[in-house]
Amino acid sequence: MADVEVAKSLSGLLNGIAQMVYYNKSEITEELLKNELYAEMPQEEFKSLYEKMKGLIKSIAAADMDHAQLEAFLTAQTKRQGGSGLTAEQAAALSRFWKSQRTRVRESLLAQCRWEPTLRGLSWRVDLQTADSYGSADHRGPVALMELELGRDGQQDSDFVCVEFDETKVNIVLKKMADIQESIDRIVHHT
Amino acid sequence: MSLSNVKDTSFLGGRIPPEIESMSKNLKDVDQELFRKLLKAVVSALEGKDCREIMKSIAESSVIPQERLSHIIAGMHRVLSEAIRLPASSLKQETFKEDLRELRIPEDFITDFSSVVFGNRRAALEAASSQSDPHLPSLEEFKWRVDVSISTSSLARALQPSVLMQLKLSDGSFQRFEVPVSKFQELRYNVALILKEMNDLEKRSILKIQD
Repeated sequence: MADVEVAKSLSGLLNGIAQMVYYNKSEITEELLKNELYAEMPQEEFKSLYEKMKGLIKSIAAADMDHAQLEAFLTAQTKRQGGSGLTAEQAAALSRFWKSQRTRVRESLLAQCRWEPTLRGLSWRVDLQTADSYGSADHRGPVALMELELGRDGQQDSDFVCVEFDETKVNIVLKKMADIQESIDRIVHHT
Repeated sequence: MSLSNVKDTSFLGGRIPPEIESMSKNLKDVDQELFRKLLKAVVSALEGKDCREIMKSIAESSVIPQERLSHIIAGMHRVLSEAIRLPASSLKQETFKEDLRELRIPEDFITDFSSVVFGNRRAALEAASSQSDPHLPSLEEFKWRVDVSISTSSLARALQPSVLMQLKLSDGSFQRFEVPVSKFQELRYNVALILKEMNDLEKRSILKIQD
């Protein structure tokens, strides 16, 4: 029973740290984690546990460790003597945590170093113009209206850019996208 | 609205616009050469070109007083814009001519009007009128770059490709943004879907015309 509780608290702590450090959840604080998960533990002891876990997550995340690297890293940590060493339970909790969060943490770290606005989403519509203030316009081809949602990392608000395309322009854009894809494939296959 | 209704009234509507009535009165002793010069100037004005210089030189060389010329020009502008407004399928050339005859416009001038409205200038005039429709900005230039981040301040080995796009829009603005690879796939898929929709729509409208 006690073991289950310890593992639960530890897993809560790791996830809480990830929320704070990587997912920009400002409502999660060190104090909140202490009160919710380790209410009984003396402040100083909690502080050292908290700092240790935070440091370990940072090292694991910065190196974007794969499974083998992580196991080697954790084994080395458990063998360390004294207070800085890692218990087997802590190593297991870190291993579980990383398995589930690796992709998301990596995504967040990549986003931290993107300074241009990023494409968050798009919506579009295809219209057929039938008339205008000068009269009938039904001889004109369809137009595509596209709305791009752009936003910077860490900011809730998005900017919206609306663009109109005729068929020729859509064709041009699609062709360029094929070029981009080809260029991405070239890199991805080589590495 | 059926086509038979259009036949009963003039293409100009129930009430003849005052500019056109006064044009018809002022056209009396105008020779065809002057009429053609004026018509040419009005057509270029409708196409969105600057025709102030041409108008000035016509006014200076003409024996007809400027005031009368301005009535004629206003009327011509109205005749042409009213005629272009209607889809080619609902205004027949004969109806158009007949309506102008009723306004006692000389036959030679009617022929000239008709050749503008039903001739090869029509496409240009329609295109010019579509320029002034309300529009969203359109794409003028699309530049891109594919980057691979090797290493960043927070990630030792990033090795992550991303696409940087820059759009120049017709309102003069530039939009620069990054597109992560996963988003890029979504964007590409959607653009392809748009093109498909547009193609489908065109096929459907061709069928509609054949009906």
